Amino acid sequence: MKIGLFLCHCGHNVKGTVDVAYLSQYFKDYPHVKVSCDYPFLCSKPGQEMIKEAVIKHGVDRIVIAACAPSLHFELFRQVIKEAGLNPYMLKRVSIREHCSWIGSDPIKNTKKALKLIKAGLHSVWHAIPFEEKKVEIERSCLVLGGGVAGLSASSFLSQMGIKVYLVEKGGELGGNLKALKNIWPGEKSASHILQILISRLNKEYVDIFTGAEIESVDGHFGNYRVQLNVRGKRKELKVGGIIVAIGCTPFDPSLKRDIPYGRDRRIVTTLDLERVSELSLPSHPRIAILHCVGSRDETIGRAYCSKICCMNGLKAAYDLKRSYPDSYVESFYMDVRAHPRGGEEFYEKVQEKGVIFTRSNVPEIIPKKEGILLRGEDTLTGETFEREFDLVVLSLGIGPPEDGKKISQILKIPLDKDGFFLEAHPKMRPFDTPIKGIFIAGGCSGPKDVEESITQGRAAAFKLFSLINMGYALIEPQVATVFTERCSGCRLCERVCPASAIVYDHRSRVIRIEEAQCAGCGLCASICPSSSITLTGYTDAQIIDEQRALL
Amino acid sequence: MEENVKIIGFACSYCAYKASEMAGSLRLKYPEGVTIIQVPCSSRVDPALIIKALLEGADGVFVAGCHPGECHFIKGNYFTRRRIYALKEMLDIFSMKGKLRLFWISASEARKFVEKIKEMHKHLRESKR
Repeated sequence: MKIGLFLCHCGHNVKGTVDVAYLSQYFKDYPHVKVSCDYPFLCSKPGQEMIKEAVIKHGVDRIVIAACAPSLHFELFRQVIKEAGLNPYMLKRVSIREHCSWIGSDPIKNTKKALKLIKAGLHSVWHAIPFEEKKVEIERSCLVLGGGVAGLSASSFLSQMGIKVYLVEKGGELGGNLKALKNIWPGEKSASHILQILISRLNKEYVDIFTGAEIESVDGHFGNYRVQLNVRGKRKELKVGGIIVAIGCTPFDPSLKRDIPYGRDRRIVTTLDLERVSELSLPSHPRIAILHCVGSRDETIGRAYCSKICCMNGLKAAYDLKRSYPDSYVESFYMDVRAHPRGGEEFYEKVQEKGVIFTRSNVPEIIPKKEGILLRGEDTLTGETFEREFDLVVLSLGIGPPEDGKKISQILKIPLDKDGFFLEAHPKMRPFDTPIKGIFIAGGCSGPKDVEESITQGRAAAFKLFSLINMGYALIEPQVATVFTERCSGCRLCERVCPASAIVYDHRSRVIRIEEAQCAGCGLCASICPSSSITLTGYTDAQIIDEQRALL
Repeated sequence: MEENVKIIGFACSYCAYKASEMAGSLRLKYPEGVTIIQVPCSSRVDPALIIKALLEGADGVFVAGCHPGECHFIKGNYFTRRRIYALKEMLDIFSMKGKLRLFWISASEARKFVEKIKEMHKHLRESKR
């Protein structure tokens, strides 16, 4: 073992408070250290040349660079080591700037600390193993679950890019929730027209559509998933590279809320019912009530979240009714109007100008009577109670989680949030990703979304998957968990905790196996294993213990 | 005599280690007795490693991970939380109260990170006296 130690002055940043020359002299006689030298700027061209030269001249086989924080110049130093003919994993970076010279001002204390840090780095590099990034072939195909807006949008992009798409829809035909709508705000675009455009954009050569189909099981890892389908009772097996989940959301079923006599009285309809019927039998000068937030922001039914899109639906229903029946009296009962899409606020004003009355209240009590439906509630702005009779009550429905969310989440092993929607890997940075590589989520299944957002999300998820698949191969992160099967007792604790579902229990030999391609490298299994039979390469127990011993 | 308090910190590379790098860039000062070991996730920290560090002379150990719900590996820090809680109870029995701490630090919370370390260092220095 020959270690090359390189210390960086970083101008005066390190040298100012750390005696670099003393340190490089001190480590000259340290076990296994072959070369120990310091340089003003290791990241400069001559600095890089110096490292390369040491490798060639002295036959150094592992390198410790004591300089700035590891995340800085990460690729640069790796490249230098590679060019010198060493494996990039034989490099250890020690941070003596961010973690030493910049956080203290006493030169003696800082030098002492830097000495400890470098020692720890040297001890850690003793355990370094050269890794090769393994390449695995991947299938140039993907599975899209759900033939709704997001699913179609994803499929059209992927098929146009020449990726084979298997589009699986549970229902009898494509379209999802869009099928139930007549026209879509804004601009009164026809829903069937939008659906036609989406379907016509599919590149038929590359798309196989399975309607009336559901997935039964999925195994494998990114690049090579094996999927069992149930197509109208017949089994079918597919091999795909990646999966996009776009199973959509379900509108709230108002009959679940007991105090709403929906389904028992024909004068109570939902905004979706309004889209279906073309003619309503209403008296002249009809009195119409629109109730917002039915099944949304309601903790009594366990839905504290805002469904986001139902405000626009309620406004649109009010506008449409007022236009079809100009002699009508339309009153909207709302908690807050959240007209969030672009142009939404203007539309809200337009509806008000049209003559729709807005009363701020919680969902009022609905009492059906022979001559009309009595609404009783409290105006939350004035604090007064009201009782008014209407000929028609329209419910603007909140949005619930996907019907099959639980089932799909169990099959694919991707998490759900507390409301039953699919959970993204990071709410801001990775909104389409799941913790499992190669599986993405899009559209209403990860939270209430309108058509525009679903199209965007479908496209975005497709693009992310395309960029993975188009590489043609998958690189396996070499720092993964490995198991000594001789020591494994088969307790399967690790299988239960693994966030990436990379651990498979082998029933025949009664030990576990780790799917390297799937392992995320968190090390949870290594720390939970009662017989220490799992190690995380790059962060082994021995390495960490040596490191902490050097620091004490 | 000057008290030399030694603290070993395990920092998750996705959050707390980044915060520690940022603390350096912001030139925030903290005692030099604090040294940090980078781990891929706070859940990598085996209780055995913590006990080992304490037995070999560390005055205190802290584990710093992402805030609950923000783990890169989705649920790693929940395991850390349970594990550290159990270990703390055990250490309390051996009158080693306050020697182990768990911090939730996101990558941007350099100042909070330094405050937490300083407070822990102060506490350990006083109890050592």
